[in-house]
Amino acid sequence: MPMRRAIVLFLASAGLAAAEPATFGSRVVPILEKNCTVCHGAEKQKAELRLDSHAAILIGAKSGEILKPGNAKASELMRRITLPEADDDVMPSDGKPHLRPEEIAVLEKWIAAGAPATAEFDAPAMVPAVIAPPAAPDYRLRLAQANELAAGLGLRLVPRSRVVTDGLVLRTASAPGRCDDAAIAKLAPVADLIVEAELARTKVTDAGLASIGTWQNLAQLDLARTAVTSTGVARLASLAKLESLNLSETKVDGAGVAAVRALPALKKVWAFGTAAEPVAP
Amino acid sequence: MIDDRHVPDFHHCSDHCGEQPSILDLPHIPLGLKQEWLELETRRHFLGRGAKALAWAGLASILGRTAPHLLADTGALIDRRPHFAPKAKRAIYLFMAGAPSQFETLDYKPKLAGMFDQDLPESVRGGQTLTGMTASQARLPIAPSFAKFAQHGKSGLWMSELFPNTAKLADDLCVIKSLYTEAINHEPAILSMTTGNMFPGKPSLGSWLAYGLGAINEELPTFVVMTSKIPVRTNVQALSNRLWSSGFLSPEYAAVALRAGNEPVLYLQDPKGVSRDVRRAMIDGVNDLNRQLFERVGDPEINTRISQYEMAFRMQTSVPDLTDFSDEPASTWDLYGPKAKEPGTYAYNCLMARRLAERGVRFTQIFLRTWDNHTNLPTNIKVMCEDSDRPTYGLITDLKRRGMLDDTLVIWGGEFGRTVYSQGTLKPDNYGRDHHPRCFSMWMCGAGTRPGVSYGQTDDFSYNIVKDPVHIRDLHATILHQFGIDHNKLTFKFQGLDQKLPGVLPSRVVPELLV
Ligand code: HEC
Repeated sequence: MPMRRAIVLFLASAGLAAAEPATFGSRVVPILEKNCTVCHGAEKQKAELRLDSHAAILIGAKSGEILKPGNAKASELMRRITLPEADDDVMPSDGKPHLRPEEIAVLEKWIAAGAPATAEFDAPAMVPAVIAPPAAPDYRLRLAQANELAAGLGLRLVPRSRVVTDGLVLRTASAPGRCDDAAIAKLAPVADLIVEAELARTKVTDAGLASIGTWQNLAQLDLARTAVTSTGVARLASLAKLESLNLSETKVDGAGVAAVRALPALKKVWAFGTAAEPVAP
Repeated sequence: MIDDRHVPDFHHCSDHCGEQPSILDLPHIPLGLKQEWLELETRRHFLGRGAKALAWAGLASILGRTAPHLLADTGALIDRRPHFAPKAKRAIYLFMAGAPSQFETLDYKPKLAGMFDQDLPESVRGGQTLTGMTASQARLPIAPSFAKFAQHGKSGLWMSELFPNTAKLADDLCVIKSLYTEAINHEPAILSMTTGNMFPGKPSLGSWLAYGLGAINEELPTFVVMTSKIPVRTNVQALSNRLWSSGFLSPEYAAVALRAGNEPVLYLQDPKGVSRDVRRAMIDGVNDLNRQLFERVGDPEINTRISQYEMAFRMQTSVPDLTDFSDEPASTWDLYGPKAKEPGTYAYNCLMARRLAERGVRFTQIFLRTWDNHTNLPTNIKVMCEDSDRPTYGLITDLKRRGMLDDTLVIWGGEFGRTVYSQGTLKPDNYGRDHHPRCFSMWMCGAGTRPGVSYGQTDDFSYNIVKDPVHIRDLHATILHQFGIDHNKLTFKFQGLDQKLPGVLPSRVVPELLV
């Protein structure tokens, strides 16, 4: 799975940047792998160009060389990555995200230094902010506690993925009837790990939303077909990471939707079958 | 590897308890295979012993390095965390068995209009072997589509007039026009599509998901299949449970096939005069006997049997709620159409699929199987499209309005394409099309697939792919990717090989299909 591998490589290199000398392998390869080699690599060679080895880059494309070592401005590669995003010729193509300014700067410095295969060059530092903030604290040390707590309540808390900071999903589908406000309140000790709560068809009411309103890492909340009302939804107004909220087939009305509308991360609210439908974008 | 110096107590139950010579004593069997067998048998046997499974987990963690390997493909302790955060929690696969023609549905070929009854240029066919059904034809005359196309939505996707409702979803669909496969006949082609391999015996896509990710709802099967009533009585494609079998994976990962009618799962209802308590006591008794048998012979299939009884018991309460449509709002029937009230129709199955998805069933596969239009294509495909267009539209629209399309992947398509030339007599409004594996069209929708795009391109005859080919292995890899699974890492050791859905040939996730 090339995309993922590339991202991991890229993050690893960002972390190493300070310690390791900047070379083609340590700084240029990760950028090309992340952005270019899906189309210019072993599997596809768009424009007969491969960007997955130093030699291949120097060979160039169907139309000839893409690099003038020592002269970044005259290099086709630089021209392609610095075009405006709407330009037909811009790389990466097909509406893929443009290179970040730091990445462009690395490629520029490398070409200007003569595009060395192994020698060090003077590359700008990576801005570490590219690493996405973790969704939740590392779950490893508390997973057993979370599992035990949930199992005792007839619920499940499952890791969202093997990435230990991806958080836990609160799963209730096996027995939604067992999940009520009291059960929700008892999850408080591990609430910071919960990023997603599947509460459709459960017995959760407005009282339970008072507890959920304190789950600071919650990004997705499904309350479809529960007894919640706008009063309860208003209690979610401090969930700064909440991205999606499903209120379908509840008693929520326009006031409930208005109460959460201003949440900074909120992207989607569904209120099918309620008085609040249709939800204005 | 298991090392009895560290684990004194459990490896003796891995042979046949002294009843027969153990496989380990046999000559001429490679050591690697013996080890594989020993591990599989030991793990399953050990795990089957209920409470001891926990002790085993502790033991395994003490063993350190050995532990993850030992836990890799056991039932109870498999690591079911996705490799990375998933976009899809569940999928609904609308399998159009028999292979709908791409010419009348998704792959608009305007240049053919002026080529009615002309011979297909030999250069296009490139010497390809034809099926026995058309190989003896004197000519291969071009049959333009009788159906008209128009652009829809902001995306401007070209959609067929035969799908007037689905066309309204143009901006939601991710159409792939450059799929290809190897098989040219239905059975191997459908098997390739459902299991990744044209030979029977491999696990179906849904089984891989059940094995790799486990259940969201333990009261219902993880993988459900429904076959639909046929709207026309010709060109009926045979279907068999090979298509949804779990192959070499434990049988608990095979699909449960829901039947049409008021008894969707056979023998689920308690017989007259048997109360639920009596039934419970009976199952407990049978399970006890089975457990004793397992202690003695260690056959993992016995554990599967026990868990199937338990699942059936739980389904006694979960299924009636599932099949009772009386809680549907009136708007449901407007969306899916009146046929959705008739059990077993494609429309009914689409609505059922939404209800299954809502309850956390991971993978629902609906088969609709009369697309094999060798003759009378215009008449028959019209019936097929009319039967399926509104329910398909209804399903997606329903998922969307309920906020479920973001994490439900919908897949529509058949097993291969059809030929540009007519099979049999050719008239502008009557012709047939033969099988064609070199290119065909499908679409996906929801769960992070890129909406409103058409990917890949075929030549003017929709005979060869000219841009961005997608092998069905790549489609499988892409589907698994949306579930947070690295298709090369979801494996099961069998016959000395780390088996995986896409097999050993190269396969890749197609990033252009994803947001
Ligand atoms: C989605 C596929 C895709 C990605 C990703 C992509 N390219 Fe391309 N690239 C193409 C295609 C298609 C062409 C040929 C069409 C054209 O010239 O615009 C091309 C052409 C080029 C050319 C011109 C070759 C010539 O003929 O002179 C260069 C240079 C190039 N790409 C560099 C890059 C770089 C650098 C990246 C990563 C930052 C990148 N590409 C990422 C698809 C891609």
